[in-house]
Amino acid sequence: MSDVEAAREEVQVFQKQVGTLREEIGRVIVGNREVVDGVITCVLAGSHALLEGVPGLGKTMLVRTLAEALALEFSRIQFTPDLMPADIIGTVVVDDSATGGAAKFEFRKGPVFANIVLADEVNRATPKTQSALLEAMQEHRVTVGRTTYQLEEPYFVLATQNPLEMEGTYPLPEAQLDRFFFKLMMPFPSRDELHTIIDRTTTDHEVKVSRVLTRDDVLGMQKLVRRVPVARHVQDYAIRLVLATHPGNAEATELVKRFVRTGASPRGVQAVLLGAKIRALFAGRFAASIDDVRVSALPALRHRILRSFEGEAEGVAEDKILDEILKKLPESKG
Amino acid sequence: MSQANHISRLERAARSAGRRLKLRRALTAASACLPLPLGYAAVVVGLAKVLPLTVAQARPWLWGTLVPAAFVVAAALRGAWSSRSPFEGALALDRHHGLEDRIANALAFSKLPVAEQTPLMQAAIADAAERAPKLEPRRAARIRLPRELAYSAALLVGLFGLGLLEVRQLRLVPPPIVQVRPMLLSADDVELFREIGQDLAKSADDPQVSAAARRFNQLVEDIAAHRMDRREVFERLGSLERELAESSELDREAQDEGLKELARELEKSGLTKSAAEALSEKRLADAEQALRELAERLKKKQSPPSKAELDKLRSALQKASAASSEHQAGIDQRRKELEEEEQSLLKKKQQGDSSPKNEQKLAENRRKLERLSRDKQRSDKSQQQLSELDKQLQEAARQLMQDAQAAGQSLESAAEDVNRMGKQQQTDEQKKEMLKRLQELREVLRQQGKGGKEQMDRMQRFGERARGGGKQPGQNGQPGNGSQPGQLRLTHGSGDGPGIDVPMPGSSPGASPGKEGESDGAQTGATGKGYGQGHDEHLAGDPTKLDGKTQDVTAAGVDSGQGAASAEVIYGAAQRGFVGRGYQKVFTDYQTVAEQVMQQDEIPPGYRFYVRRYFQLIRPRD
Repeated sequence: MSDVEAAREEVQVFQKQVGTLREEIGRVIVGNREVVDGVITCVLAGSHALLEGVPGLGKTMLVRTLAEALALEFSRIQFTPDLMPADIIGTVVVDDSATGGAAKFEFRKGPVFANIVLADEVNRATPKTQSALLEAMQEHRVTVGRTTYQLEEPYFVLATQNPLEMEGTYPLPEAQLDRFFFKLMMPFPSRDELHTIIDRTTTDHEVKVSRVLTRDDVLGMQKLVRRVPVARHVQDYAIRLVLATHPGNAEATELVKRFVRTGASPRGVQAVLLGAKIRALFAGRFAASIDDVRVSALPALRHRILRSFEGEAEGVAEDKILDEILKKLPESKG
Repeated sequence: MSQANHISRLERAARSAGRRLKLRRALTAASACLPLPLGYAAVVVGLAKVLPLTVAQARPWLWGTLVPAAFVVAAALRGAWSSRSPFEGALALDRHHGLEDRIANALAFSKLPVAEQTPLMQAAIADAAERAPKLEPRRAARIRLPRELAYSAALLVGLFGLGLLEVRQLRLVPPPIVQVRPMLLSADDVELFREIGQDLAKSADDPQVSAAARRFNQLVEDIAAHRMDRREVFERLGSLERELAESSELDREAQDEGLKELARELEKSGLTKSAAEALSEKRLADAEQALRELAERLKKKQSPPSKAELDKLRSALQKASAASSEHQAGIDQRRKELEEEEQSLLKKKQQGDSSPKNEQKLAENRRKLERLSRDKQRSDKSQQQLSELDKQLQEAARQLMQDAQAAGQSLESAAEDVNRMGKQQQTDEQKKEMLKRLQELREVLRQQGKGGKEQMDRMQRFGERARGGGKQPGQNGQPGNGSQPGQLRLTHGSGDGPGIDVPMPGSSPGASPGKEGESDGAQTGATGKGYGQGHDEHLAGDPTKLDGKTQDVTAAGVDSGQGAASAEVIYGAAQRGFVGRGYQKVFTDYQTVAEQVMQQDEIPPGYRFYVRRYFQLIRPRD
């Protein structure tokens, strides 16, 4: 088998695996295809997702289902204002259970030590507690005292924010927001979706999620993602797209110039391109396209644009700004 | 097909699509700028219409359209060559065929060296080749007409319409130069009629006659200045003639007849005998004077007339006042007779007699009635004046019985009436004279018009020589209308009838033309201007011998008053031109005789014209 054929097969397997995973998740989560894909994308990108939605939409269930389907360890952290960093990371406790009466200090791992962590209402915790989680997200390790504990791969954190109860919360700072690969908006289910949800959840209908992928599969898929090529013109488009979010740029649109204070960072380009690669693999293609970049742009950049005071006052949504950029930015430029 | 071939195929299609996209961009850019030159051209055309500008004046501005046109070309070039990705065509193909950038990616990866191509890249290339068996660059990169062309098309239509638009402009058009074929009159005749006009103006004492004389003079001047054509000249002539004819009011004949009747009756009284004589001889001024003297005598009571004389005077005055009305009665009687005749003819016609003879009689009757009406009209006016005189005489006769002084007053009034009649007659005479001159002018113009240029040239030469102008021996011009060289032919009317020949001054009648070198001195008996050359072949004697034995004697001629004979004068004038005092006297004598003959004898009007014209042409010149 030639390399090309091997590559073809690899992509086909990837596509099949993703399909299986989607299907399995779909048995529990009704609708929200984009959110599910977004979450899977974040997992495969080896990064994290920020999910925003009102309570009761199935955010926790989504993550739990994902963990079960991937047979990965799952933990949930409910962030509250009184949550301490140690509650997340873990604490050192004195263990005097050993025979001989010698007591020793033992580090009890916190919930962050899982493959998939759900950080619910992360904006309710104090910045100090938030930073404890964010450090783990970034470094994939936790340092307690002098000891550094490596977090097991794959490591995926899904943080949630409740858009309704923002008062008394601690919004994540821009620097922290930038660490999330995607920001996914969970919409309220449609009427038909609600019917399905009710049918599933208020009856004795019980769904057991099967494991469809192993940890190694996920890791293998993550590696494949990194190998997907991006043509120069596609990469150029992604870069121009991110640059267009900056008010001073020549290709910045009117909305950007009026309502944006700061545009997306280079992490935004990384997120856009990785997302495009994953999306290309979803479609069974071997390279990312400009359309893939477009589709990935919104979730990858909406939390990386800082609106100006005027933008906030007028309530101009980031999505609206990005839509305008996507509409006006030419595909190709010499 | 190998991968390389696939790549080539993809590249060709991509290039084709790319070219088409360039062209489309160029069209779009050019269309956006096209209103510029069209708008400029519209402005120039509009200004050319309004100002207005000639084509030559507008041309440089129209050339200026090239500048905005250059903008269009530059925009098109810029649009075509604006920086674009080299995969623009490939992307267009991907979009059209729904290949999700497979072709663009494949081409991008194929450009990398093989060693740098990862398996996934190669898989992407192969995938593109498999999924794009047939590519349609034309459809992928359609060249649509840009929307902006619609504006340019509308502008072009507007420009076209503007070009067709005609802006009415008020232009002062100079009056057309009317080519007048002027009526020609020879200089000699112009001078003649100027003199006539001056004489008429000088003698005119009636305002109407003076005005007519001025118009006559103006007409002559206009003809001399070549300001009028034939039609206009004859129109003015006709207008002047009609005016003069209409204002000739009096029936002169009737008036003369009436005055004669008066004279016959007044002659019977010794007191009015002198007045009667003057009246019968139509010397109205003398008659007036006589009446005034009589009136004075009656008023002053110095040597008053005797009773018998007064009785005779009364009787004469009474009878005289009744006499003049008889003529008027005669006209009325004749008129009555004609009216009765017309009535009878009309009755016959109503009864069914529409024969040509009846119709002819009726028409003739009507003509006679019209003529009588005109006569009566004139006669009425004359009669009016005579009636005034009658009234005064009657009054004088009545008053003689009571008061001689009052009768004198009436006689004075009668004298004034006679004076008025005299003046009216004078005015009529002047009008008739002017009418006569107008007819002469008409005839002269008609003749000269018929003769054409030749006639005019001959008249011109005649006029010059008549003034004693230079003559060229042997050059007597071309004959025309049957006249011999050296003659001017006068014909009446159309010029086809008989005419008279007026010899040109300076030419001998019957002399042969064209003999170079001949001078007047060589002619026998001719009295040329200069001295002769050589000797006459008819010398009678030997050459004079000068022996020196002569004695100078001073002798003065005696003026016997005879001077040169008329024939000599006439002959001399024929040679030298119609100049000189001697010729003036001879001419006047002959003309007077000729006029008398024409008045007394029955000479047809056409011939009268000949004679008068002849004398006009040979009249003395200054």
